[in-house]
Amino acid sequence: MNQIPIGGLSAVADAEKPTRRAQAKRRTREKIVAAAKSLFAERGYEASTIRDIAKTAGMSTGAVFASFTDKADLFTEIAEAEQAELHQTMQLAAAGLSGRAAITAMLGAACERQTAELALVQAVMSALWTPGLAERARRRLERRPVTTLIAAAVRQAFPEADDLDTTFVAEMIWDGYLATLRRAAFGGLTAPVVKARIEAGARTILAGAQPG
Amino acid sequence: MREARKQATRRRVLDAARELFEEVGYESATIREIAGRAGVSVGSVFTGFCSKAHILSEVMQERLGALYGDLERVAPHLRGSTADRCRSMFAVHYAFEFQRLHLFLAYVAAGFDWRADPDLPTMGANPRLRGMVRDCLAEGVRRGDVRPDVDVELVVDLLVGVYAWNYRQAAAQPARPEQLTDIFDRQVGVIFGGLAPG
Repeated sequence: MNQIPIGGLSAVADAEKPTRRAQAKRRTREKIVAAAKSLFAERGYEASTIRDIAKTAGMSTGAVFASFTDKADLFTEIAEAEQAELHQTMQLAAAGLSGRAAITAMLGAACERQTAELALVQAVMSALWTPGLAERARRRLERRPVTTLIAAAVRQAFPEADDLDTTFVAEMIWDGYLATLRRAAFGGLTAPVVKARIEAGARTILAGAQPG
Repeated sequence: MREARKQATRRRVLDAARELFEEVGYESATIREIAGRAGVSVGSVFTGFCSKAHILSEVMQERLGALYGDLERVAPHLRGSTADRCRSMFAVHYAFEFQRLHLFLAYVAAGFDWRADPDLPTMGANPRLRGMVRDCLAEGVRRGDVRPDVDVELVVDLLVGVYAWNYRQAAAQPARPEQLTDIFDRQVGVIFGGLAPG
């Protein structure tokens, strides 16, 4: 339903025919985002200053502020893009599957993607818990899209259970996913072990969610 | 004598930091402010602690140490099913952490901080909490309301994971501990539903 047709993106871009100025502006934004991404991943959100980000991007602090209101804005844009890509990765992984198979495929794909970029994932997690991060940033980073995908698959797994709170179960599966992913960073677990444990966690939750 | 003075300084720094982290937040509190409130020099803070993260870690170790001391005494006497005993243990946690919610949220945020000093205990790892939940599950296997082939470590991960992520509700908007306890009680129902023998 929310899928963007693969060929659709370039078609939209062609139709807009951005002006040279708009193009330059976009390139600047991309440069800033790339610099900020590497700094956030390297130092975390709090320790990365706009000044450092500007320096890494090879431009003035003023140029950064021309594109983004503040650090929270910049960070949220990056985190949002990550989330959108994660969503797409999961959607693609579940293509043609349903129910439990879809859940396993989605969690597996998410795990592969996120273990490969753990530093950035951790920076996002840490910032989400930091009370200082602007409230609007937090709202923009709600994880609803991802859990909605899982909830739809939970519904397919239990087609008869009308009164099953699929959102509740999906949230639990995602909590379990994140808790295990966190251990990838601190527990020294390898990516395949993490993936297997994430699958086992989802199985346990689904077994318990089974009505009757 | 010198040792006693060192301990007194440490005590004052930890008390000052605990108050400041709760009042102004961990991120905004500076070492200088902590020193000021404790009535010691910045230099003597650094004699006892290597970073602000180190202070946070010690503050939380101390808080949790007291909580776990109590819980470990009470845990063997908890009544009801294994699920209910689990619920009771975590309800105590919610009530406890809500007394200093900002401090706890800062601790969770720091728990994702991979740049933390490797010599510090991993924040949020809570080995004593994990140990208690593990014991509770093992007891459940003995009593027969948890299946014997349970993957204990996996279930501990799930329980601690959902317990901690429930706080995101409190991070986003004002919440009462009972709200999180209610959600957690349902979650425990799901997890243990999958652990019933037979």
